Amino acid sequence: MTEKKEYRGSIHQQQKDLMLAWYEQLDHAAITGDPPTVSMMISGNCVELLEGFGAVPIYPEVNALQLAIRHQSLDPILAAEDLGYAADNCAYVKADIGCILKGITPTGGRLPTPTLILCNFVGCNTYLKWFEHLAKLQQAPLYVIDVPFMRADEPSRSDVDYVVKQLQETVKTLEQLTGRKFDHDRFRQAVECSSRSEELWSQIKHLARRSPSPFDAYFDAITLMGPLYVYRGKPEGVEFFEVALAELQAKVDAGQGVYEKEHFRVVMEGPPPYPYFRTFRDMFAKWQACAVASTYSTVGGLWEFGFRHDPENPFESVAMHMIAQNVTNRNYLQRYEQIRRYVEEWNADGVIIHFVKSCRLFSAGQGDMRDYFAKQLGVPTLYIESDLEDPRYFAEAQTRNRIDAFFESLEHAKATLSTRV
Amino acid sequence: MRIAAGVDVGSTQTKAVVMSDNGGVEIVARALVDTGANVQRAAERAFDTCCREAGIHTGNVGFVVGTGYGRYKIAFGNTQMTEITCHAKGASFLCPGTRTVIDMGGQDSKAISVGANGEVLDFVMNDKCAAGTGRFLANSAEVMGISLEEVGPLSLQAKHPVKIATVCTVFVESDILSYLAQGKTAEDILGGVHIAIAKRTLSLVRRLNLEPEITMTGGVARNIGMVQALEQLIGRKMQVSPDAQFIGAVGAALFALEKLDQSFESGIWRSDHAVSGGH
Repeated sequence: MTEKKEYRGSIHQQQKDLMLAWYEQLDHAAITGDPPTVSMMISGNCVELLEGFGAVPIYPEVNALQLAIRHQSLDPILAAEDLGYAADNCAYVKADIGCILKGITPTGGRLPTPTLILCNFVGCNTYLKWFEHLAKLQQAPLYVIDVPFMRADEPSRSDVDYVVKQLQETVKTLEQLTGRKFDHDRFRQAVECSSRSEELWSQIKHLARRSPSPFDAYFDAITLMGPLYVYRGKPEGVEFFEVALAELQAKVDAGQGVYEKEHFRVVMEGPPPYPYFRTFRDMFAKWQACAVASTYSTVGGLWEFGFRHDPENPFESVAMHMIAQNVTNRNYLQRYEQIRRYVEEWNADGVIIHFVKSCRLFSAGQGDMRDYFAKQLGVPTLYIESDLEDPRYFAEAQTRNRIDAFFESLEHAKATLSTRV
Repeated sequence: MRIAAGVDVGSTQTKAVVMSDNGGVEIVARALVDTGANVQRAAERAFDTCCREAGIHTGNVGFVVGTGYGRYKIAFGNTQMTEITCHAKGASFLCPGTRTVIDMGGQDSKAISVGANGEVLDFVMNDKCAAGTGRFLANSAEVMGISLEEVGPLSLQAKHPVKIATVCTVFVESDILSYLAQGKTAEDILGGVHIAIAKRTLSLVRRLNLEPEITMTGGVARNIGMVQALEQLIGRKMQVSPDAQFIGAVGAALFALEKLDQSFESGIWRSDHAVSGGH
C-alpha cells in the first residue's frame, strides 16, 4: 500500500513566497550592499538583534540543505574535497564551501559577501572552523560569540551575563561595520514579534497531540522552519504563523490528519537525509506513520515547553534562547527528557533515531539513546544511519528494510494487543 | 490441505520453501539458488525448483510471501515482509523457545529479540559495513584459496589463532597475506578470522538483551567454526537448525499459511493495514 496523500495547504505556498523574498533581498544586497547581511548558525540564532540594524540573516546551513533537497549537493561537496576537506568533515561545511568556490547558490541568484560573519557556535565546534574558513574565503569580518554549553538544568547567572556582554559587543561591531546606529526600539519590537511567533508555533506543535495529527511534525515542520528562522522577529512572521495555526486548527476541527488513517505516531530524532527527502518521507507514508514531534524542529529554538523571548528583557532573553532553549546546546539528559515527554504527552508509538554521519556532535551518543528508550523505558526504538547532506551515505534498500521491519513489529504488537483486549 | 510458500531473496543466495498445513504444519520442500544479477529470475527459479521438489504445480500454492532484499522483485509473490520479521517467525517455529536470533547472512548480520509468539520485539543490524558478515568470511577464504565449506572445520584445528586487527572486509586480505608471509598456518589464520568476526558480531548483538534460547540463522550458521567461536564468546550453546539457511523463507511461508487460514484471529494479518504489497 503506497500512501502519498499529504497535507498541502496555503501555508506551503506562503512559505515558498517568503523564502524566495528572502533570497531576493540577499540578491539585492549582493548588488547594492543594502541591506547589511550577517551570516549565522541556525541553532540559537539571534535574528532579533539583526532587526536593530535592518540587517538580513544568511544561513549557510539553509543554503546547504536547499542544495541537497534539490539533489545538487554532491558537486560542491566534491569541490571542497578537491581542496583538501576530508571525507569525515561535515558535509554541510563542504557543500557551503564548495558553493562559494564554484559560485553556486540554491536559487541561482547571488549571495552577498556578509557584512559580518557571526559565529554563534551553539553546541557545534565545527562551526568555529567553518566560519573561520568562510571569513577567509569571503574576506569578511568574523565575530565569535562563545555560548557556554548547558552543563546543568539551567544556565548560571554568569553564563547569561557572559553572552549578554558578547551580544552588546556584537552590536558595537555591527555599528562600526554598517555605519548605522543600533535601533533599540526596533530590536525590542523584533523580540516582541518573536514572542508572538513562538507562541503561535508552540500552539501549532501542540496540535500534533491530537489524533490524527493535522500535520507531520518532522516533514511538514521543516517547511515551517524557514519562516521561523528568517521572519519570526518580523510582522510577516507573525502573520504567517497566524495563518498556519488557523489552517491547521481547521484541519483538527474537521478531524483531518496527514493520512486518511493515521496508523502510527512516531517521534523523530535527528535531521532528515535531505538528498533523499522525498524517498525518506515515502518510507513513512507507506505505513501511514506520522511524526507527532521531532527534536530537529527544535534546533532553532525550543518553544513548546513554554519559553518565549521577552520584550521587557530583550538581551537577556536572546541570551537565554542561545544558551538554554535550543536542542543543540542542551545536554544529552535534557534531550532524553525532551523525547520522553514527546512520547508520553504526544502519545507516540515509538522513536526513530536518524544518525547523521556529518554531525558527530548531534549524533554522538545516539546508540546509548536507543538503549535508554528501548531497554529502560520499553519504547520501541529504531536506529538508522545516513547523512543530512552527502548523498553517498544513503543506502536506500538498507534504510527501507529497517523502517519496514520496525513498523512490521509495531503492527504485530498492536495486533497482539488488540487480540488480548 | 493448505499449501503456501516463502521465497527469501538474499544478497548471495535465494531460498524457497513450500509448506503445508494439514492439521500439522510441515516443510514439504526447499530450494536454494545463487541470486546472481537477475533477482527476479532467481526468485522464479527457486520457487519453480521448490514446487517441482514438492511435486506440486505452482498454481496450487495458495499464497506466496517474499522476503529478503529482493522481495519487491518477486513478481509472483502475493505480498512482502522483511526478513527480520520472517527470521523471528521461522526461528520460533524450527527452534521453539527462541528469544534471540543471531542472523549472519551474506551482507547483513543482525540480532533480533523475539517474543513468545515469534514476534519481533527489537532488532539491531550492521550498518554501512560488511564486517561480521558472510562476505568477510568469503573474502578471507578466497584470498587463501580455500573453499567456503572448508574454512569452518579448519578454523577449529587452530592451535594459536592469529590476531586479526582489522574489522574491514577489504583490508582483512592484506592482514591475511601478511600472516601467510610470516609462515602462519591456514588453521591459525582462519581461527583468528573466525574470532574476529565473532567479536564483531557480538558487539552488535550485545546492544540487545541476549536472552536464551539463542538461535543462529542465516547461511553462516552452516559454518561450525563460526558457531563455536560465537558460543565461546557468548558462554552458552546456541540452537542451530539444519534448515538455518532457510529460516527466512520458512518464516515467510508460515505467514503465508496464516493468510490462508481465514479463521486465524491473531497476528500481523489481523489489522487492515497489515504488511504492504508494494513500495
